[in-house]
Amino acid sequence: MEQVKLTVALIIAVLLQWTLRNIAEPLVYVDFVLIVVVYAALQRNSLRAILFGTFSGLAVDALSGGLLGANGFTKTLIAYIVSEIARRVYMDNLLLRIPVIAGACFLDNILFYGMHRLLGQDMSGDLWINISYALIGTTVVGTAIYIFFDSFLSEKASNRKRDMFPARRHSRRRNPIRLGK
Amino acid sequence: MVERSQKEVWRLTPWLVLVLLLGNFILMAFSAKDITSGQRLIRVWGLTVADFVQSPVATISSGVTNYFRSIANLRSAQDENTDLKQKVEELQLELKAKEGLTAENERLKNLLDLKDQSKYKVLTARIIGRDPSLWFDSAVINQGSLNGVKLNMPVVANGGLVGRVTAVSPLTAQIDLLTRDKSGVGAVIGQVGTSNALGVVMGTSKNGLLEMKYVPGTTDVQVGQSVFTTGQDGIYPAGLKVGDIFDAKSYGSSQPYQILIQPAASLDSIQEVGVLLYEPPPTVPFDQKVSTPTKEKKK
Repeated sequence: MEQVKLTVALIIAVLLQWTLRNIAEPLVYVDFVLIVVVYAALQRNSLRAILFGTFSGLAVDALSGGLLGANGFTKTLIAYIVSEIARRVYMDNLLLRIPVIAGACFLDNILFYGMHRLLGQDMSGDLWINISYALIGTTVVGTAIYIFFDSFLSEKASNRKRDMFPARRHSRRRNPIRLGK
Repeated sequence: MVERSQKEVWRLTPWLVLVLLLGNFILMAFSAKDITSGQRLIRVWGLTVADFVQSPVATISSGVTNYFRSIANLRSAQDENTDLKQKVEELQLELKAKEGLTAENERLKNLLDLKDQSKYKVLTARIIGRDPSLWFDSAVINQGSLNGVKLNMPVVANGGLVGRVTAVSPLTAQIDLLTRDKSGVGAVIGQVGTSNALGVVMGTSKNGLLEMKYVPGTTDVQVGQSVFTTGQDGIYPAGLKVGDIFDAKSYGSSQPYQILIQPAASLDSIQEVGVLLYEPPPTVPFDQKVSTPTKEKKK
């Protein structure tokens, strides 16, 4: 069930990435796809995370003016790195996830820029200004999205809900024949 | 059993990552090779799929934006009304003077037997999407190959050049905006044929401004002069307005100018564009133009 929810979240993230810049230009600095990929990687399922990274990256590349596969490359690598870190270090605390999403965003942009420069492509915008804005936008929105995901998506949340609203226990009706005994 | 399968997954993952990274890298390498010439199939598919999402979102968002804008506009309508009434009176006077000039113009045209004809057909299109990556300036329009749009067709808005078509799907097309560094436009300061201040206009990272390179320092360049396409780049027709000179720095007659241009069309806020149904004359590939001396000798 969690897998289905995360897949739906990833599809929504790709659609948002495709459309939001047309509504408001500053929203381009929020990498919704990276936020969901990092969240998936933090769930310690590295296989799912890297597949998420590859396919969502390619979906963004398909509509971007950049090199096809550039986002696929960076997001796959980041998903793997984050999932490996999450396997070794306990990262269920929200405060620990903030530096992770910030670091992932920084690495994603540096790798993306580096791969394009390596293959002789020019890019618009100043490297450090773009990275700074992306870092702020993605970290702030990412943190808010993680709070939302933790409340609605994770198993922990459903366990908590089960604890708060336990199913009513029906007492077993005693056998009236044996009542006298 | 579960533990073992988990270990297998962990052992498998690095290999899968390597394969995926290699696959993506190969895609990038191919993409870098043919990014200027052909278009990639996956991009065409992406554009087609995205159209079903982007078109409704663009319609709804522009409707909501226009609604709030109209409310905001009502506030200043009273003052504007007074100003406009005054301007109408002034313009009426000007119009009467110009009517005479138009009639004279027509008469002279008839005398010279000239006919008004528009050079290119223009296809109106709406921008339904922008580049999802912050590193590039491209846009998606709601006209595609079914409407006659082809690769490298020029795109204009508000009387100025916006960019060119870089990918076409049946329903949509992707355009690269001029502000993108890679796009180079052959341009001239002043009208084509009357000026020798030729150069190449390229995108910069400075607030949507363009940069004109290779303009010789010996030419006279003034801030505010208009820049037009020369048609020598083999993509854009001659005579399209690129923009006006915003800043020009001279480093002596031996070095080229450093010129910044304000684009004629406001590239950040365009909603509607026109695609010029113009196809440049076919060019002969370089290797066919130059015959090798060895072959000539043999003949």
